[in-house]
Amino acid sequence: MDHPRPSAYTFNMTRADTGKVEGRGARGVLRFLGLVALGGVTGGLAALLAVGFVGAVVWLNDLLLVSPRGRMMFAHPEWLAVATVLVPTLGGLIVGQLHRAIPEGRPHTPADAIAAVQTRRGRLPPRAGALSALSGLVSLGAGASVGQYGPLVHMGASLGSAGARLLRLGRSEDNITIACGVAAAIATAFNAPLAGIVFAHEVVLRHYALRAFAPVAAAALVGHVIAAEVLDRGALFHVEQLAIPRPWEFGVFLVIGGLGALVAGAYMHAILGVGRLARRLPLAAPLRPALAGAGLGVTALWVPDILGMGQETLRFATIAGAFGSVELAVVMGLKLAATALCLGMGFGGGVFSPALVIGTLFGALCGTLIGLAGAAQDTFVFYAICGMVAVTAPVIGAPLTSLLIVFELTGSYALTTAALASVTLASPIAAQLFGRSLFDIQLTARGLDLSSGRGRAVLEDARLGDLLSQEGVTLRPETTVTAAIHALGQAGHGEAYRVDADGRYRGSLTLADLEVMREQDRSDAPIADCPATPRPVLGPEASIWAAMRQLQEMTGEAIAVVDEDDVFHGVVYESSIARAFLRYSDELRKEEHGAG
Amino acid sequence: MRARRILAVMALLSGLAAGGMAPGQTGQTSPATGTGPLTVLSWGGAYERAQRRALFAPFTEATGIPVAVERYDGGLAALRRAVAEQNVPWDVIDMTRSEAMAACEAGLLEPLPADLAAPAPDGTPVERDFIDGAFGDCSLTHSVFATVVAYRTDAFPGRRPTEIADLFDQHRFPGPRALQRTPSVNLEWALLSYGVPREELYRLLSTRRGLSLAFARLAGLEERRWWETGSTPVELLLDGEVAMASGYNGRFFDAMAHRDAPIAILWDGQVQEHEVWAIPRHAPHPEAARRFIRFATASERQAALTRYIPYGPSRHSAMQGVTTHADSGIDMRLHLPTHPLNAGGAVIKDEAWYARSRTRIGELFRAALTAEPPTDD
Repeated sequence: MDHPRPSAYTFNMTRADTGKVEGRGARGVLRFLGLVALGGVTGGLAALLAVGFVGAVVWLNDLLLVSPRGRMMFAHPEWLAVATVLVPTLGGLIVGQLHRAIPEGRPHTPADAIAAVQTRRGRLPPRAGALSALSGLVSLGAGASVGQYGPLVHMGASLGSAGARLLRLGRSEDNITIACGVAAAIATAFNAPLAGIVFAHEVVLRHYALRAFAPVAAAALVGHVIAAEVLDRGALFHVEQLAIPRPWEFGVFLVIGGLGALVAGAYMHAILGVGRLARRLPLAAPLRPALAGAGLGVTALWVPDILGMGQETLRFATIAGAFGSVELAVVMGLKLAATALCLGMGFGGGVFSPALVIGTLFGALCGTLIGLAGAAQDTFVFYAICGMVAVTAPVIGAPLTSLLIVFELTGSYALTTAALASVTLASPIAAQLFGRSLFDIQLTARGLDLSSGRGRAVLEDARLGDLLSQEGVTLRPETTVTAAIHALGQAGHGEAYRVDADGRYRGSLTLADLEVMREQDRSDAPIADCPATPRPVLGPEASIWAAMRQLQEMTGEAIAVVDEDDVFHGVVYESSIARAFLRYSDELRKEEHGAG
Repeated sequence: MRARRILAVMALLSGLAAGGMAPGQTGQTSPATGTGPLTVLSWGGAYERAQRRALFAPFTEATGIPVAVERYDGGLAALRRAVAEQNVPWDVIDMTRSEAMAACEAGLLEPLPADLAAPAPDGTPVERDFIDGAFGDCSLTHSVFATVVAYRTDAFPGRRPTEIADLFDQHRFPGPRALQRTPSVNLEWALLSYGVPREELYRLLSTRRGLSLAFARLAGLEERRWWETGSTPVELLLDGEVAMASGYNGRFFDAMAHRDAPIAILWDGQVQEHEVWAIPRHAPHPEAARRFIRFATASERQAALTRYIPYGPSRHSAMQGVTTHADSGIDMRLHLPTHPLNAGGAVIKDEAWYARSRTRIGELFRAALTAEPPTDD
């Protein structure tokens, strides 16, 4: 595989091939400061985009009679029922048409940004990014039960990637600018800069290199300032005069964590399950969101709590007595089903906001049941928040981010400690049972397994075709043994590959096999008669990871690369695979441990 | 019964005083202008007395146009009827911004010219000098008042209410409550008592669940009294008939300053609202009405009004001119709802929300709490 294009680097602090850290000293500091400044600019732009996006969603919700405020202020209440069904249906229709213009036929999500960074592919396609943002906007504006943070995160990531492309930066810097956009989006949307920084590292970069930290922190800071000054948002949950939980209640919070992991699993698999089901429906993909919108609208006539992002529902779930216990269970189940329906059938949007609502309803249900058992309810909000964190942390695979969001939004150490108790069990149990996050599960289904870390992901993403060599000795099956031995001797190789007149692979031969034939006085026999040495072959689209697995099973110089029609493409030498492995490992090591 | 008698006497005296103190009577002709008096619809009580001293009398002095005052208790029903009959007896109405918005949308008010207000004394343009949202299509904000909760300082020995949730905590703060017979403000306070942040009040009140929670909180109050006239809660507190009451901050201040009333204001949860001038459609003297509004919204007049009643001026230049109470010498800045010490827990009333949903919310409120047949506003 070629080395990264050094000529394309502007901030090329490292050269992967030499392993030498460049730019130490004053020049290095200047370059590093340039990267930090770029992080700040990326963060600022991402934050402004996020502000605009959130404002547009609110405006659409009011205009299209999705938001309770818009509905209350509408002068003709008799038309509300019609709007409730019609708006999500038509929204689904538009979203379906938008997705036809995206190559994959689906909106891009934070999972795509994670894949780009984890595989160091870097670039996110701008057109798909813009269309995905538009799809999220229409979906959210029309009241689909989806989240806004997913589109915001992907928008920030796309912006970061576009900036890197514009400045012709290298892969490492591209990854950092993507993380900057993500951090700014979270910092702006939640007004939580620390959560933004940690989310970018915990979920997207999956390392904590100092070199990435500073630009990401700058981006989150700018996003936070813009959120505080421009967006002027209120707290997601406002808690004051908290009672301190009794010691035994921390045990309950732990249990809520364990059970919350199951709810998170049900939520994730409901989304994936509806997605699988949708693909089997005798209905064209662009029409599926409209069907989901109609179903959502009809259900919302009876249970309006399931419409939209559900911010009002989330707020009420933190108030003791706002819901009865049966009502909590019903709304929770319906919200889960509605979100699975919307996302599975193809609406654009995130998974986080609905998870917040479902989790809070779940926590409130636990709190209500504890209340029914005779316990005092002055700590009700603790249960709601614990449920919220227990469900959301496994879904996005970010326990630390979830805790920080609670801390930054409430400023309550007591509440954060209670949430910690829940996360302690929720994230590991969910990871054991279902996977690290919904993003990772989706990526695994698309063939990218992130469960073993970045090293494996990068090697899984690197194609073997790039290491392909034509220097191997290929012989026609009719070649005699003597000629074959001569050809191998001339080329200095110990293995040859039989390829027929049509270019098809017919097995491998070793010099030892040929020598045996010669000792048996069969020097003039065609090599087609020579017993082939069993050798694994791989397709040109196979990954370097797959090749390394094969190397564990064989001894030999190289692996033949053969396509589905048995056409021989060349060989990949063992030494090339080893060099590629070392190079990727070296790049990752430098990226993750680089200080500036 | 005693309170009712007192109220009746007060109303009678107030009516007589209004008639007696007015520079002109309805039907009189101004010698200076040859027109009838300018008839202003205002809210009576201490508020009207302050307006007479700071605005009406100086206006007559400056222009020769007498001012007659008629009593207004809010609502649009009378205005709607008068405009429909094209027999409007008022020239200027002092109304809340939400009602002005609703009335303007319904075509009951005259549009106001953009250059109606006078510039600030230092030449600052009006658009920079007035607070945000002061200019409506048919109205101009002249002051910001607050509906607050006041309590008898001797009602809760050893403790004082500090937050609006205490209004509903009759366990810690026992005693009857007096609340205005409107959804406005009561719904906000009820939801605030659940810990809902101020920014989310109107979003949550737009849901069935939010309204139900608010109604439940209000219905849970024992010994609740409804009031309709701004002076009533002051009297109920002074008579000791209630321990806590909602009301307008100016009225409570007036009782404290002039009558040495043993009451204190709980500023947490205060609901701020714009008070505006508007001219009804078919007003008999629209030109004089515009002249009056320009006069009354001048920085000097706004500052003068704060010498009698602590309502926040709508102009920054007027705010700088706020000094002491004309009679008692009390520093008025500390009693304005817009003073930073008081405004920390303020709710900014969502007047657009009320303007559009007034009728429906009113019907639900009456059905849930007051068992009265619905009226049109």
